[in-house]
Amino acid sequence: MNDDNNLSATLAAATCALLGASAAGPVMAGETDRWSFDTALLYYAESDDRVQDVSATIGAQRAFEDDRLLNLTLTADTLTGASASGAIASDLPQTFTSPSGRAVYSTPAGETPLDDTFLDTRFALNASWTQPLARLYTVSAGLGFSTEYDYTHLGANVSLARDFNKRNTTVSAGLAYSQDDIDPVGGAPVPLSQMLDVGDGSNKLSSDSKDVLDVLLGLTQVLSRNTVLRVNYSYSQSSGYLNDPYKILSVVDGTTGDTILRTPAPGVAGPTGIYLYESRPDSRAKHSLYAEVKHAFGAPVLYGSYRFMTDDWGIDSHTGEVRLRWPVGDASYVEPQLRYYMQSQADFYHPSLVQGAALPAYASADFRLGEFDAVTVGLKFGHRTSGGNEWNARLEYYQQNGSISRDQLIGNQFAREQYPDLKAVIAQFGYRFGL
Amino acid sequence: MASPCEVLIEDAPEALARQIAETAAACAWRIERKFSRYRSDGVVHMINSNAGRPVVLDEESAALIDFAATLTTMSEGGFDITSGVLRKAWTFDGGSAVPTQAQIDEVMTCVGWRHVQWRRPVLRLKPGMQIDLGGIGKEYAVDLAAARVEDIAPGVSCLINFGGDVVARHPRRDGQPWRVGIEAAAKAGTAVRIVHLTRGGLATSGDSRRFVLHQGRRYSHIIDARIGWPVRDAPHSITVAADTCTQAGTLTTLAMLKGMECESFLRASGAKYWIQACPASPQ
Repeated sequence: MNDDNNLSATLAAATCALLGASAAGPVMAGETDRWSFDTALLYYAESDDRVQDVSATIGAQRAFEDDRLLNLTLTADTLTGASASGAIASDLPQTFTSPSGRAVYSTPAGETPLDDTFLDTRFALNASWTQPLARLYTVSAGLGFSTEYDYTHLGANVSLARDFNKRNTTVSAGLAYSQDDIDPVGGAPVPLSQMLDVGDGSNKLSSDSKDVLDVLLGLTQVLSRNTVLRVNYSYSQSSGYLNDPYKILSVVDGTTGDTILRTPAPGVAGPTGIYLYESRPDSRAKHSLYAEVKHAFGAPVLYGSYRFMTDDWGIDSHTGEVRLRWPVGDASYVEPQLRYYMQSQADFYHPSLVQGAALPAYASADFRLGEFDAVTVGLKFGHRTSGGNEWNARLEYYQQNGSISRDQLIGNQFAREQYPDLKAVIAQFGYRFGL
Repeated sequence: MASPCEVLIEDAPEALARQIAETAAACAWRIERKFSRYRSDGVVHMINSNAGRPVVLDEESAALIDFAATLTTMSEGGFDITSGVLRKAWTFDGGSAVPTQAQIDEVMTCVGWRHVQWRRPVLRLKPGMQIDLGGIGKEYAVDLAAARVEDIAPGVSCLINFGGDVVARHPRRDGQPWRVGIEAAAKAGTAVRIVHLTRGGLATSGDSRRFVLHQGRRYSHIIDARIGWPVRDAPHSITVAADTCTQAGTLTTLAMLKGMECESFLRASGAKYWIQACPASPQ
């Protein structure tokens, strides 16, 4: 050992004699971490005790020789709380049969009915493999699986990218297919059938399924030393069972706009009004176009993006987002974020259905298919530790404002809140490290 | 230097970037012109063509000769700048052609630093002897280039690579290390490993295509100057990170000379190293 220390010292002295004092300092080198992990804990809470979601994600990435990469992501989340059922508020208390068909729940007068039997735990696992195929080509393939109480998802995807123009341009094409099985609590209701008394399952089918095919085309272009542009087009075709089995519509009087009352069968609990289960088309084609510009002003980096989506259900949406990553000191950054979203309502969006009028083929009162806009403001703070790991914390506030056109409201409905605003906070903590 | 040289510069104005690249290139060309044994206008050619006569060396050449002499001492004669002539006898083309011991013995009469008279700045080779600074010139050049670049552009983050001998003096702008791939011995152009280099020199000694198979054993292209035979059972490649590329390169060479014992040598040296082992030689 002594000899070897002497050897290092002799070598250092000889090198110093040769080069003069030209070394910058002691060497700092090491091997790449074989595994890198990206973990995150997210908390999402809507105002008024509506949906809460706690989600934990562990992403693991393993780099192999030759730019080959394995990515694994495991997510677990738990949803609790209540979500809007689609029924309208009423001047009277309302009672509904719960999705299981075995109990009832009630909504006080004047309030938007929420289904509070909402509770679910979801596990998802995604795996993907990326590798160069030939010079300038990169291929990627992945599998995804997720399961929750009433839902199972199985998906596969593949994509190919090619670099052009001294790698300043990348063109990619991808294909994804998924098959989802839906096995709703208490069965999948027949579309537009009426909500029945507890114990009567005659309008429920056992389960259903849908499949989704996505085609993705992408272009990434380096515009200048500081600017990168990415443009994606995607086409998505869903078919099969696309309803939300827990969403209903109120049937109302054509003049007053009040929910038509009914009385449950003697000795049985059941709905106090007439409610129909929603009916959506069994196919949906979506086109979306996404553009993102990343520009570095020296150390700060500005991200701007815009997405346009249109589908054959009549929904058009626009999303604009701006983020600015601002370095603080050598190892930290703050990133303010602003996002705006707006969408038009689906052709078959109806806040309620009029008794006696011909039933439309498709109808839904799901707020998510209505017209609304939403603003998200957020701030992220990240810090890189001396060991090269990074932790970050993000806080966001989300506010959604829905609107229903006046010609879709009837009589007393004008006086009631039909589309309550939604507010939510999102808090996330992430830690990235290597092994 | 018969190998691609590159300078990666991060985020400098174009004029400065150009200046950095030109400075590094000028350094490479100058060292090549001065110390390549293939150049008839260089110092090495001058020394070799005057074998038998005393030659007075300039400061820089004398410093390199001093350094080479130290390496010879450190390797107990295994490394020797006079051993280049053995390449006349050995061809490392992956085949199995091996010279006869008589041929080797004949060449060995012209090998050995002990036969050289060196009293700085006067060098005198025995007639028939030659020197070759190929084993240290490239590492020296890249260290020198990095120092020159630091003089003209202090603090600018760049990575200088002369044919696999790499120096970085600063981390990347975002504080992250440079990622340097070690080429797989079996497959040119693919990385077998990625090394993170924040500061220091990185050198690799390898024999991906330069070796000889003899009696079922693999002989690397590194010749042990004491016996005139190549080192037996050395690994495919050794990469070392050290304060300077010159130190890193020296350690790879010294380790290669240890053959199968290279790893214990490197471990004891305290250096950071990465070894690509050979498939076990058939006995």
